[in-house]
Amino acid sequence: MKKREKETMENPLNEEKDPMELSKKFYENSMGYVNKNSGAMRFLPSLLFIGFVFVMSVWFIFGEKAEYSSSEKRYLQKFPETTFSKIADGTFSENFEKYFADHFPNRNFWVGFDAYYNLELGNNGANGVYYCKGDYLINKPVPEINNLEKNIKAVTDFKKLIPNTPMTVLFAPSTGYIINDALPKVHDTYNDDSYFDYAQKTLAENQTAFVDLRQTFKDAYQQHIKLYYRTDHHWTTSGAYIAYTKLCEQLGITPFPKNQFTAQNYDGFYGTTYSTSGFWNIPPESIQVRTNPANSENNITVTITEGTKTNEYHSLYFYNHLEEDDKYPVFLDGNHPLTTIQNTNAQNGTIILIKDSFSHCFAPFLAENYRKVILVDMRYYKQNVSQMVAVEQPEQVVVLYGIDNFLTDTDIVWLG
Amino acid sequence: MVFSSLVFLFAYLTLTLLVYYTIGYKFRNIFLFFINLVFYGWGEPLLVFLMVFNIFFNYLGGWLVDKYRTNQKKKKLFLILTCVLDIGILAVFKYTNMITETLNMLPFLSIPKVDISLPIGISFYTFQTMSYVIDVYRNDAPVSKNFINFGTYVALFPQLIAGPIVRYRDVAYQLEHRTETLDRFTKGVKIFCVGLGKKVLIANQMGSLTTALFESTHQNGLLGTWVGIIAYTFQIYFDFSGYSDMACGLGNMFGFEFLKNFNYPYIATSITDFWRRWHISLSTWFKEYVYIPLGGNRKGVKRQIINLLIVWGLTGLWHGASYNFIFWGLYYGILLIIEKFVLKKFLDKLPKVLQHIYTMFIVIIGWGLFYFTDVKQLFEFLGNLFNVSNGFFSEYSFNFTMNYLPMMCIALIASTPLGATLYQKLSRTRYIWIAETVFCGIVLFVSTASLVNQSYNPFLYFRF
Repeated sequence: MKKREKETMENPLNEEKDPMELSKKFYENSMGYVNKNSGAMRFLPSLLFIGFVFVMSVWFIFGEKAEYSSSEKRYLQKFPETTFSKIADGTFSENFEKYFADHFPNRNFWVGFDAYYNLELGNNGANGVYYCKGDYLINKPVPEINNLEKNIKAVTDFKKLIPNTPMTVLFAPSTGYIINDALPKVHDTYNDDSYFDYAQKTLAENQTAFVDLRQTFKDAYQQHIKLYYRTDHHWTTSGAYIAYTKLCEQLGITPFPKNQFTAQNYDGFYGTTYSTSGFWNIPPESIQVRTNPANSENNITVTITEGTKTNEYHSLYFYNHLEEDDKYPVFLDGNHPLTTIQNTNAQNGTIILIKDSFSHCFAPFLAENYRKVILVDMRYYKQNVSQMVAVEQPEQVVVLYGIDNFLTDTDIVWLG
Repeated sequence: MVFSSLVFLFAYLTLTLLVYYTIGYKFRNIFLFFINLVFYGWGEPLLVFLMVFNIFFNYLGGWLVDKYRTNQKKKKLFLILTCVLDIGILAVFKYTNMITETLNMLPFLSIPKVDISLPIGISFYTFQTMSYVIDVYRNDAPVSKNFINFGTYVALFPQLIAGPIVRYRDVAYQLEHRTETLDRFTKGVKIFCVGLGKKVLIANQMGSLTTALFESTHQNGLLGTWVGIIAYTFQIYFDFSGYSDMACGLGNMFGFEFLKNFNYPYIATSITDFWRRWHISLSTWFKEYVYIPLGGNRKGVKRQIINLLIVWGLTGLWHGASYNFIFWGLYYGILLIIEKFVLKKFLDKLPKVLQHIYTMFIVIIGWGLFYFTDVKQLFEFLGNLFNVSNGFFSEYSFNFTMNYLPMMCIALIASTPLGATLYQKLSRTRYIWIAETVFCGIVLFVSTASLVNQSYNPFLYFRF
């Protein structure tokens, strides 16, 4: 290297030097200690690393790509479009990352592993679901800041639109509130008491009846009745039946006797809390269908309206759903904007249910009493409900929700 | 693209390693240059051109400075031109919004808001290229004679988006003459796994805790707020140092060696000590390219204090385009000045425990300034740290704390050199490879599970 001019002003220590030489020295001294005692075994971490990433990469490339994830109930990301504009604006990379994650080899295994890892580290509820005693999986309570007041107001406002039609509100208490003793030691409080008290008070001031299931359910739980599924957020058929008798009491009608139903259990049910939790080792449970042997195609009609399409069936139960892991849609085929049950054998007239999915196993009981049970799901039904009341002239309107759903719902406000 | 993602680990890295080690010695740098652009362009497809432009004019700047080495005037002119362009681009892309917002506070001004998104890593690569030109000017770095090699240096994916700020002078030799050995590769794998574990297994968990507790600090109570800021203190260290470790490890896998960026900052015994251990490449940069040129401590105490305040104001500003970062920088500047001129003698006499407590207290409060970009939230947070008007420990924050307590204990231990000391002691034994392999295996396995679970997204309100 040729000599270069000294630059004492900027850097006083800078004397004759060769920066490349310094750079070389830095590199040569940087390797640090190498443990040759282990022989070739010292390379094992590399072998493991390379082996792992290469095996997973190759597995990804050749592995089968599912279209639909039944545990997440959603369609998985398809291979993204590779047009120039999609690549330039970054959508390609974004979607490719989703695609990669969605089709990662053995995806559910990893999800489960992580769920148990968090659980073992003391973080029960990391996925939003508590792992409880007796293999119960229970959703964490809804945050204290929620839509209760807004939604109750929507209900009372709705009552003002239908002053001449009696209205009753019924909430299923949250699973964690009732099955409190199964919860892990560290858990957030289920504030059902304050929610129910508020609802009861506000509804009473607005000529709306309220069926308070808290004590009934607590008592039933003490008698070891299984009110809620272990792997699902819904109440069981038993839970729904108890709620039904309690509603009948309020409405002054006679509930259809339990012993006249034929109960049939179906095994292998894995519900929503199971899917959310990732605790794949939890055993499945059974789901019960109680049918009235007197019902037949001749007296039962179920009309399901989805958009502009309307389909008619002659059964309250959709047994094809028993083939799936999540068997709950066996009741009334799951969520639809508008479902109407007609039973020509029943005594009473029309009842309208403004509801979430808790009423799917509940409504078949009501259909024993009412000739027409109309189920309106505000999450999907976008038409005027008070107008429906005016047309249908129901004897009763019932608002039926699981309390957690009611607290988080953002669609009840469209009732008015 | 980030290192802690499935696409990076199982697609990009696999492919890059495969090609890199099969195409032959000659093409390594051309390939790296190209694949670096893919890495960068993955998240910022069009901003690749900005980076290439930056590489180009800094390469040219270095070349001109070197060419006119004997002509002081021209040499200086080209240095200044290059630096102005560097800082200008950084200012436009990073600080335009902050500047217009500030100017708009003047009642008679209303500059329309321009939507400029911050190009990833621009703060890092701008500082790298500036260090190159300045070093060439000072003859601290050799001039680069190969555009591809220079481009490979600037865009080198391991350190591109989150540092460390690698100076050209440190890697000049490696760019041409590095040797990829299995030993270096293995060293890289080990460091990479340490970094991956820090990021995915500790930082992400601490991040969840921070998010939960900082949603609104008044729902936590006093102790809960402290837990929140401690969780954030862990998160930011494990996140950042995890990235740096992964960068060093990845560098090793391709035959490079970078300087260490973190040296257990949370065991520091003073603020001065903390900044010798935290983000070392950045402190070094500001010291070498701002503090010393400004005169450092050679022009009297008054000037030194001003220099320190300038350096720390800029250090703060570098971290983000928001005033709280400037405050955060000045907070450290002022504390360092106090420490240097007043407290030092007193501090040295204190027992070690109190020195640690003093340092961590300042650092933790500092992260509060760093976290809350909103002044109102910041004051609410500071209030909640010191008064019990919102309770002592709410159920909400208590439960979160209990759930993350084991992880916090792990984080606490992992932020001390305990593990490293133990490893140092055993590293010469014959069977250390068992521990190393098991450690890497566990980290890789659990991190993969955690990354997959992040993508697991049950959509339960549809069709159930």
